[in-house]
Amino acid sequence: MKASRMDRLDFVSAIVLTAFGIAVLVESLRLPRLDHLNVNPYTVPGIVPGMLGAILTLCGLAMLIRSILRGGWRLDLTADTVGGFVRSPSVRRVALVLALTLGYALGLFGWLPFWLATMAFVFAFVVATEAMALGKLPPLPNIAIAAAIAAVTGAGVEFVFERLFYVRLPG
Amino acid sequence: MAGLESFLSAIAGFVTSFAIIDVFWATLLGIVVGMLPGLTATLGVALMTTLTFQMEADRAILILICMYVGAIYGGSRSAILLNIPGTPANAATSLDGYPLARSGQAGRAMAIATTGSFVGGLIGMLALAVVAPALAEFALSFGAFEFFWLAVFGVLIAGQLTALDDPLKGWIAGFLGLFVAMIGQEGIHAVPRFAYGSTDLAGGIGLLPAMVGAFGFAEILTVMRQQSYEVVRGKVGSIWSGVRQAVRYRITAIRSGLIGTFMGLVPGVGEDMGAWASYAAARQTSREKGQFGKGSVEGLMAAETGNNAAVPGALIPVLTLAVPGSAPAAVLLAAMIIHGIRPGPLIMIEFPDFVFSVVAMVFLATCAMFVLGLLLTRPLLLVLRVTRERLMPVIFVLCTVGAFAIASRTFDVWIMLVFGVLGFILRELKYPMAPLILGIVLGDILDKSLRRGLVLTDGDLTPFFTRPISIVLFGSALLFIILSMPGTRRLMARMLARRRNGDGP
Repeated sequence: MKASRMDRLDFVSAIVLTAFGIAVLVESLRLPRLDHLNVNPYTVPGIVPGMLGAILTLCGLAMLIRSILRGGWRLDLTADTVGGFVRSPSVRRVALVLALTLGYALGLFGWLPFWLATMAFVFAFVVATEAMALGKLPPLPNIAIAAAIAAVTGAGVEFVFERLFYVRLPG
Repeated sequence: MAGLESFLSAIAGFVTSFAIIDVFWATLLGIVVGMLPGLTATLGVALMTTLTFQMEADRAILILICMYVGAIYGGSRSAILLNIPGTPANAATSLDGYPLARSGQAGRAMAIATTGSFVGGLIGMLALAVVAPALAEFALSFGAFEFFWLAVFGVLIAGQLTALDDPLKGWIAGFLGLFVAMIGQEGIHAVPRFAYGSTDLAGGIGLLPAMVGAFGFAEILTVMRQQSYEVVRGKVGSIWSGVRQAVRYRITAIRSGLIGTFMGLVPGVGEDMGAWASYAAARQTSREKGQFGKGSVEGLMAAETGNNAAVPGALIPVLTLAVPGSAPAAVLLAAMIIHGIRPGPLIMIEFPDFVFSVVAMVFLATCAMFVLGLLLTRPLLLVLRVTRERLMPVIFVLCTVGAFAIASRTFDVWIMLVFGVLGFILRELKYPMAPLILGIVLGDILDKSLRRGLVLTDGDLTPFFTRPISIVLFGSALLFIILSMPGTRRLMARMLARRRNGDGP
């Protein structure tokens, strides 16, 4: 029986989940028992997380066994399949969006004035994703629209949050 | 009678003040949010919570409920015109709505969806007014044992019903959510768990940044991964004939309203299942079964009545048990707590007028939705012309600012990012998000109830299995697990086949 793509993904995620469940269980056992405070042993902080760690481990193992029975352990990791996955348009789009969004949230937000960071991000996002969709730089009217959306978003969000709802923005 | 008086006085209070303006703009914004693929009701309510947390409680909750009702309804527009459900709750709507639109009857389909949503909202509202006070009184008899099983039951049933093909993944999502709630200082001895010296982690994972991440950032990544969409072009057709046609299916509407309300009431299940269960029931009983999936008015009516009826339904456990009936209801629960309202069994004692005030809010939001939905059918089509490339960066800015705004902490922005990326990966792996969020909400209840229960009985587990309500909840949870096991399913299928063969000639 040929394993489906989801069976292979389940095999990998089951290993991660089982390892995570074991880690939660071990860390729960390491939580303080508060013996020196004479607390009731049934209220120790690790009891519920430990139980959840055990359940997650069992669920991970159940999924692991199921994916093995369905042939998911044959991961079919060849240069062609990996290369095809990395080159697929959807993966490239997600990678671009991740780079832009993480760059804004971690690199610009809080470091530059809010309006400036936001305008730069929105403009870069619109132009870059449109360029990827078109396979070339978008035409000038589209770039002008991107600049307008960036300006309105930067100024508008700052006005609404800071002036109307009194939320202090960073930067 | 006191309830009716509270309801009428709440209505009068809202109608004779500026609150009525809030009703219309918030419902309209909700419709727009619901219409845009990638923006869900959960995200809309979560972002609006960050904007309204400095307002008075009544005004803020009114705006949030209008956003919730509007968004669940608004999703029907993109389901009908794009074949893409605006929110997951409108997936069943697209089955018959889109074929109607393709045959040049988009206007009629939108009017049927609007009428169905209106009727569903009213039926759910009546159930909210009747059931909530009774359930709150009943819940007064709940102790630690019952709340423990309620948390377990909620996660299991939400996991099962939101991942019908693979309940194991739904349960895993729920247990992961319960684990997330364990991070930070625990409530009995104030010991930080899984904080590793970080004061931010010791404060726990905020529900709102996690939800903005799981339902906002993750959705942005999902939308950008997919192919771009195109609007159905052509004739919108008559709108008013749709309203007249919808009236013919009043029995379907009433049945769907009741089913939708019940599905809303079940913890963590919400509007999606409200629509699917109503749709399935309508198909089962219809005289025109063959039309379903090809443009059936009855099917469209059932789906839209079911999902909007689930909105007030989902508020019933929020108000009376502090357990959300759906993901957007979980945000509403968090918003109520932020505004100093303590939902739970004591609500009818501590805030007796609030429940009927919420009923009034649902009523006004449902009426505004009906009026705006019918009057603005054509102008609202313009919203769907916005491309994802131009919309998504604006949404991400709102997600970032929204996560930051509640506590002015950069840590919450990081939480939003982590839950966004994690949520995207989990979605790609077919893990549902709703049980994860329900788990985060119920984690604290589960933790405290189990430990308190064990202290009360000095470690004896018997009361967890012998008290009457505990037996029902435990038995239901166990039954759900057994029924979803592949072996049990195969056995039941064999038994059914044998019975059918035995009944045959």
